[in-house]
Amino acid sequence: MSELVLRLYIAGRTPAAERAIRNLERIIREAYGDDASCDLEVIDILERPQLAEDERILATPVVIKKLPPPVRRVVGDLSEREKVLIGLDLKEG
Amino acid sequence: MAQGSTSASERARRSSAARRGAQTAATGIQGLDFILDGGLPEGQPTLLRGGPGAGKTAIALTFFCHGLEQGEPSVLATFDESPEALTRHAHALGFPLDEHLAAGRGRILDMRPDRSELVSGGEVELTALLARIGYALDALGARRLVVDAIDGMDESFAPGNSLRAELTRVFDWIRERDATTLITSGEHSGFSERFGLEDYIADCVILLRQEVRYRRMTRLLRILKRRGGGHGTNEFPFLLDHEGVFLSPITGTRLEARPSSERHTTGVDGLDAMLGGGGPYRGSAVMVSGQSGTGKTSFAAAFAAAACRAGDSVLYLSFEEATEELLRNQRSVGLDLASCIDSGRLVLEPLLAVELGWEEHLLRVMRSVQGQTPGVVVLDPASALGDPHDDRQGKEMLLRLFYMLKREGVTVLATELLPDYSDGVSNMDVSSIIDVWIKLRRDERDGRLCRLLNVVKARGLPTSDRVLEYYLSGDGVHVANGAETGGAS
Repeated sequence: MSELVLRLYIAGRTPAAERAIRNLERIIREAYGDDASCDLEVIDILERPQLAEDERILATPVVIKKLPPPVRRVVGDLSEREKVLIGLDLKEG
Repeated sequence: MAQGSTSASERARRSSAARRGAQTAATGIQGLDFILDGGLPEGQPTLLRGGPGAGKTAIALTFFCHGLEQGEPSVLATFDESPEALTRHAHALGFPLDEHLAAGRGRILDMRPDRSELVSGGEVELTALLARIGYALDALGARRLVVDAIDGMDESFAPGNSLRAELTRVFDWIRERDATTLITSGEHSGFSERFGLEDYIADCVILLRQEVRYRRMTRLLRILKRRGGGHGTNEFPFLLDHEGVFLSPITGTRLEARPSSERHTTGVDGLDAMLGGGGPYRGSAVMVSGQSGTGKTSFAAAFAAAACRAGDSVLYLSFEEATEELLRNQRSVGLDLASCIDSGRLVLEPLLAVELGWEEHLLRVMRSVQGQTPGVVVLDPASALGDPHDDRQGKEMLLRLFYMLKREGVTVLATELLPDYSDGVSNMDVSSIIDVWIKLRRDERDGRLCRLLNVVKARGLPTSDRVLEYYLSGDGVHVANGAETGGAS
């Protein structure tokens, strides 16, 4: 379970962005526990617009699971735990 | 709203600017720029609406590529077709878009929604979209922007979310960016009504529509709204094919050509004699009407050949005969059109596609005229251009064509087929625009068929009142000597 790589793209520190960060962190913690080796990076596309172009991002917040394959995306404030797990194709540990 | 307090002065400022013609960005579609009083409002969003296949993307691509060809860096964001498909599409319209993109002058942003994307939680923000567009505009220093198929965005969001508020923000942002923006939207489940696009994009709204009458499709364009500037209010038919988008502002025509005193020969000596020893004035409209078998095409061909010999460039539009047929048939009466073609003075263009709608037909004629700028145009027979189902509209279109040719100072000779039952009465009814009208008819006399000709009218020229017999022989058209009147026997 060492290769879970998530990228959470936000556009500025908006309330929805803050909620998405909190929700995602909680979902990971609940699914894998505190010791889960998860590489989660929050990227603000206002600071790095080229990344938004490369990833073809339309709406934010959006989380992209880069590894393990397949690449999956879930957009929104990630408030529905089940939907996020299904959308990212993650199994509870 | 804060807008209310400034709108009056703002409007005044904008309209005076529009009068100066300074604040517009040309679309590159001549006719459209004409009815838009210069082009799209500069620094403002314009909405281009229409159903599937109405021509939205073609017009948007023309605007985009025209900017690039003018050396203006431009950005296109697509929600529907892939960048590759758009590049091919632009090629089909005659723009080397891939070269512009490779040279870094333009950029296409792929905004197509990812259908596998799941939505969790109601609030979705479109800031990323704006950040991407803004980033591209800044990187290129672009002020020309196309957003193609914004209704495609609808699919990527669940209903009942914050899309409406987000869209408002998108358009406000575009105004702040001061980019001349063309946004296209389909009629996808009432997208533009549902989200009130026309209210937000108050500056300019263009509507495209397809009309099918008698199984023929016509593309139509109308300016619904144009803040702070004049615009044509009619529905304008337009062409969309491999030569691009062509729209002729035919109702905006004015008579501008200065009258000329220079004269053409008709190519038929006897007919010149009936017009006082010379043919029609340059820039006038000549009509030759007659039943079938009266040799209308021979008169037209004689006129065209004579004009070529005199050094004029001639565009001969043949609506019923193909090139080879016409050459062969006229050779039989001693007219060698092939050598005129070889000399480069005569362009023979058969427009035989009877399946075309008549408006499309007329637009093609206008485009040929604008493309080749001939001194003389022959329409043979012009009656083929009329709408068989609606005389009034066919006549209107024909009048506009004559006006357009006159405005350009082009001499036009049109032939008209009169049905045998018409008793010699013209049913095109365009005589008000015709300067010289020659009527041909068949008559039976003493067990022989003879052909008779008379000049119905000839503005500014001496008009013969005689009815003379004429012959179609192996060496051309000959009018009998004036002594031989056909009136009494």
